[in-house]
Amino acid sequence: MSAAASTAPVLQVEALRAYYKISSFGLDREVRAVDDVTFHVNANEIYGLAGESSCGKTTLIRTIAAAIKPPLRVVGGSVVFNFAGRPVDMQKADDETVAAVRWKHLSYIMQGSMSVLNPVRRVERAFVDFAFRHIGKRKPEFLDIVRAHLQRLDLNPDILAAYPHQLSGGMRQRVAIALATVCRPEFIIADEPTTALDVIVQNSVLAMIRDVQKEIGSSLIFVTHDLAVHANLCHRLGIMYAGRLVEEGPTAEIFKAPKHPYTTHLVASLPRIGNTAPKKGLEGTPPSLAAPPPGCRFHPRCPLAMDICRTQNPPMVEVLPGRRVACFAVTPPGRAA
Amino acid sequence: MRGYGVYLLTRLGQFVLVVFIGINISFIVTHSTPIDPVEATIAASTMFGAVNPEAIAIMRQSLKELYGLEGGLFEQYLTFWRRVVVLDFGPSLSAFPAPVSALIARALPWTVGLLVVSTVLTWILGNLLGGLAGYYHQSRTLRFAGVVAMAFHPIPYYIVAFMLLIVFGYLWPILPISGGAQINLQRGFNLPFLSSLLIHSILPITSLVLVGLGGWFMGMRSLVSNVVTEDYVTYAELGGVDRRRILASYVMRNSLVPQVTGLAMSLGAIFNGAIITEQVFGYPGIGHLLIQAVHAGDYSLVLGITTISIIAVSAAVFLIDLLYPLLDPRVRVR
Repeated sequence: MSAAASTAPVLQVEALRAYYKISSFGLDREVRAVDDVTFHVNANEIYGLAGESSCGKTTLIRTIAAAIKPPLRVVGGSVVFNFAGRPVDMQKADDETVAAVRWKHLSYIMQGSMSVLNPVRRVERAFVDFAFRHIGKRKPEFLDIVRAHLQRLDLNPDILAAYPHQLSGGMRQRVAIALATVCRPEFIIADEPTTALDVIVQNSVLAMIRDVQKEIGSSLIFVTHDLAVHANLCHRLGIMYAGRLVEEGPTAEIFKAPKHPYTTHLVASLPRIGNTAPKKGLEGTPPSLAAPPPGCRFHPRCPLAMDICRTQNPPMVEVLPGRRVACFAVTPPGRAA
Repeated sequence: MRGYGVYLLTRLGQFVLVVFIGINISFIVTHSTPIDPVEATIAASTMFGAVNPEAIAIMRQSLKELYGLEGGLFEQYLTFWRRVVVLDFGPSLSAFPAPVSALIARALPWTVGLLVVSTVLTWILGNLLGGLAGYYHQSRTLRFAGVVAMAFHPIPYYIVAFMLLIVFGYLWPILPISGGAQINLQRGFNLPFLSSLLIHSILPITSLVLVGLGGWFMGMRSLVSNVVTEDYVTYAELGGVDRRRILASYVMRNSLVPQVTGLAMSLGAIFNGAIITEQVFGYPGIGHLLIQAVHAGDYSLVLGITTISIIAVSAAVFLIDLLYPLLDPRVRVR
C-alpha cells in the first residue's frame, strides 16, 4: 500500500444529488432528498450522520451504497470509495465490480435489522449466501471461520442452526453485525442499527460495533437521529437538515460549541444533569422536500434568519480546521467569497 | 421431531373428523330426498303391465337389501357405514349388475391423471411466470405473458374449451376431440396406447391450463411484489447475493407458502372441476360418470362418487398440511 493510499479518505462524496422523481397522471414531482452533499470519511474512522426523520439520511447512504431503485435517481455528483488504493466509483462502476465489492469491502447494517434475515432459512445459510464467495475456502473451513468470528463477538456458534424467528431482537441485531463484519470489510454503513432496541441492549450492541470496528480497523458511517448515541460512538459528526449537510466537525467540538442555529437547537435539546429548566421546542416543522423553501432550507424556522437567507443558499465553508458550517450568520456572504 | 409428531396427530385427527362429518351429511342428504330409489325402480319395472303383488313385495325386499335401506333409520345408518368402510356401495342401477366400486375404479384414474397433471402444470407455470414477472417487473416479455394470462382468465371455461375444439378439431383438425385414448388399443404400458393417451389429453389439459393460469399468475405476482420490498430481500441485494439465489431462496420461497394452500384447495376441487371438462371432451372420467349417474337416477353410484370425493378432498388437504412445515419453519413447532 502506498503512502498516498493510506492517507487518502476511504470514501469521498462530492456534490451528490439524489432525487425521487415521481410522475403519476401526467404530474411530475421531484423530491430532493439529497441535495449537494459533500463529505469524506477517513480510514479507521466512525463518521456519524445526524438529523431528524425524513431529512434524507437513509437516502444518502442508500445512494452511497449504490442501492438505489427508481424512482430514486442520482442527478449529479459522485461517490468514490478507495479500497486499498483501488478507487471504485459507485455510480460509474459496472454491476460485476459493484457485486464484487459488496460484503468484501463494503457491508451494511440495516435499519430494522430485526427482519433482515430470511425467515424460512437457517442463520447459517445467510452467512453462506453473503460471505462464502468472498472467503475462498471450502465449506467446512468457511464454517470454522464463521464460528470463530461469532465466538470472538461473544455469540454462541450454535445460533447458526437456528431460524431467525427463534432469536430475540437484540440477538438478531448482533447476528446482523457479525454477518456484516465476517469478511472484515474496509467500510461499513450502519443505518440506525440500534433504533428498535431498548437502551440496555442498545448499549451492548454499540459496544460490539465499537469493538469490532477497532479490531478490523474499518471505517464506519453511523446513521441515527439519537444524538446521545453519536456522542458515545462517533469521531466526527455531520448534521443534516432537509436533504443538505449543514454542519460537520469532530463530535466533541460540535457538542461543545455548535455553530449552525439548527445544531445549536439540537444540542440544547439534550438533557443535562442538574438542569431542570423546561426544554423549548423549535417552532415549525421540517420543510417538504418536494417543494423546499428558496435559499437556506432552514430559514423559515431560524431565529437568526436574514434577508439573504431567503434568496441564497449558504455554501459549506470551513470555519476552523476540520469544521464546516453552511450558514450566513456564521460566515457573512462577503467573507465567504 | 416430537413437535412434528404432535402436529401430524392433530392434523390426522382433523382429517378423520372432516371425513366423518362429510359422509354423515351425504347420508342425511340422500335419505331426505323425496325420491325413493326402491319405489322408483319398482315403478320403472312394473310400468308395462301388472305384476302380482307378491312378486312386488319380494322385489321390494331384495332391492331394500341391495340399497341398504332395511330397518329403521339407525339400522340404515349402521349399514351405510359398514359399506363405506369397505368401499362397497352395492350394484349400480344404470349399469346393473356392475358394482359401483368397479365403475368408480375404472373412471377414477382418467380423472386423477388428467386433473393432477393439469392442476400441477398450471400451478408451476403460473407461479413461475408470476414470480418472474413480479421480480423483473420491467421486462417486456413477462408483461406480455401477463397480459395473455389475464386475457384468458375471465373467459368462462366452457367457451375456451369449445374454442379449442373448433380450432383444433374442425378448422385445423390435428387433434382428437373426444375420448381418453383410441379404443382399439391394448391398455397398459405400451407405446401406441401411451402416445394416444397423450394426444387425447392435449386439448383438455390446454383448456384447463389456459383458464387456470391467470389466477396463479396474478396471485404470485402480487405476493412477490410484496416480498421484494421486505428487508431481507433488500439486505441480500446490498450483500451482493447472486440474483438467481435471491429470486429462488428469498423471494419465491417466501411467496410460495400461501400458494401451496391454494394448490391443496384446487387439488381437492378436482372432482367438481372435472365435470365440464369431461363432458366437453368426452373424457371417460368421474365427472362424466357422475353426470350419467344423475341422468339415470343411479342412487348408489351418486352416493359412491360423493363419498370418494369427500375422502379424496380431505386427503389432499391433509397431505399438503404435512408438507407445510417443510416449507415454512415457523409452522413447525407451536
